[in-house]
Amino acid sequence: MTPSLQRYHSLSIVLHWSIALALLFMFASGLYMVNADISKADQYRVFQIHKASGVVILWALILRIGTRVFTQAPALPDSLNPQQVFKAKLGHIFLYVALVTMPLSGWLMVSASPFGLPTFVFVDWIKWPHIPGVARNKTLQVLANNVHWITAAILATSIVGHVGAFLWHKKKHNINLISRMWWNKK
Amino acid sequence: MKTPVNSSFLNRTFSMGMLMSFFIALYLSLATTVVQAELKSSHQSGSVAFSGQHAGMNFEGKFERWEATLTLPPQSNPSIIATFYMSSAKTGDSIYDSTLPEFDWFDVENHALGKFVSTKIEMTEEGYQVLGDLTIKNITQPVNFMLIDSQDQLSTSFGINRLDYKIGWESDPDAEWVSKTIFISMVINK
Repeated sequence: MTPSLQRYHSLSIVLHWSIALALLFMFASGLYMVNADISKADQYRVFQIHKASGVVILWALILRIGTRVFTQAPALPDSLNPQQVFKAKLGHIFLYVALVTMPLSGWLMVSASPFGLPTFVFVDWIKWPHIPGVARNKTLQVLANNVHWITAAILATSIVGHVGAFLWHKKKHNINLISRMWWNKK
Repeated sequence: MKTPVNSSFLNRTFSMGMLMSFFIALYLSLATTVVQAELKSSHQSGSVAFSGQHAGMNFEGKFERWEATLTLPPQSNPSIIATFYMSSAKTGDSIYDSTLPEFDWFDVENHALGKFVSTKIEMTEEGYQVLGDLTIKNITQPVNFMLIDSQDQLSTSFGINRLDYKIGWESDPDAEWVSKTIFISMVINK
């Protein structure tokens, strides 16, 4: 009999924590570039870094979802009741939808922007294209901007719920869910 | 036995030589003046550059392809005609260089050429006071500038309001990011 799977695929683990760190940077840079009292030059530079990082995160998410689909996930602990399992799955769906909506809405916003500035992904030879057919569409840009902000709030709430659920299960049921997303000691 | 030297013959020959030399020098001098009367220049022998500010940062670029023909006073019918290829504008910054050819900026797809045609040129102590029409994106506006004549160069620098030519008209009409004034400078090596 094969032992039950204890953790996610290594690539999933790497991507999970990398995306988590990247999201912290994106929240910080997004709030900073819009709200901080900084020079136009600094604001412009942070905008370009934020855009380029968003493209990298979008690709990381695609890889993450692909890895999730094509590799086996560890089963949830038996001690969780069906309602908790349902909530966990619903929470993850929220997380995934919000995670994907963030870069997509950002991409739409940049593509529809009246500035029409291109996105170079940190180097001059990787130019991320604009979504065709939406150039200089102010209505779409405003819509995408609103979606970006609302989704950011939903995503932040989902992440708090995600971390909160881990802490709650750890404290209340002594279940260490984080071991599913890290390399176990043999 | 020595042949007697005919000094009159020698003098005549010498004078003829002097005269020939004079005419050759005169011809060469006139030829040079004719060349200078209509001075042809291009990106190979000079530069047409532009500069401004974006997000408070200075930027500058140049047209990598342009041609100009100058006929300057005291020649009759003085004129300056310059043509520059808008798609050849380069700053060295990937974001700017990708944005400049677009519809709202230089719109190179529909307006491949920019053109300057002088309407009046007056000689001054420093060089030439030039009045003319600058056409970009099919919009013509009057400009005037001082063309400074140094020993081996003609040079000028003057500002234009980019909004007069509908450059960045939709993107940044309030010059929140890109300065309204864009300086154009030209150096022509004689």
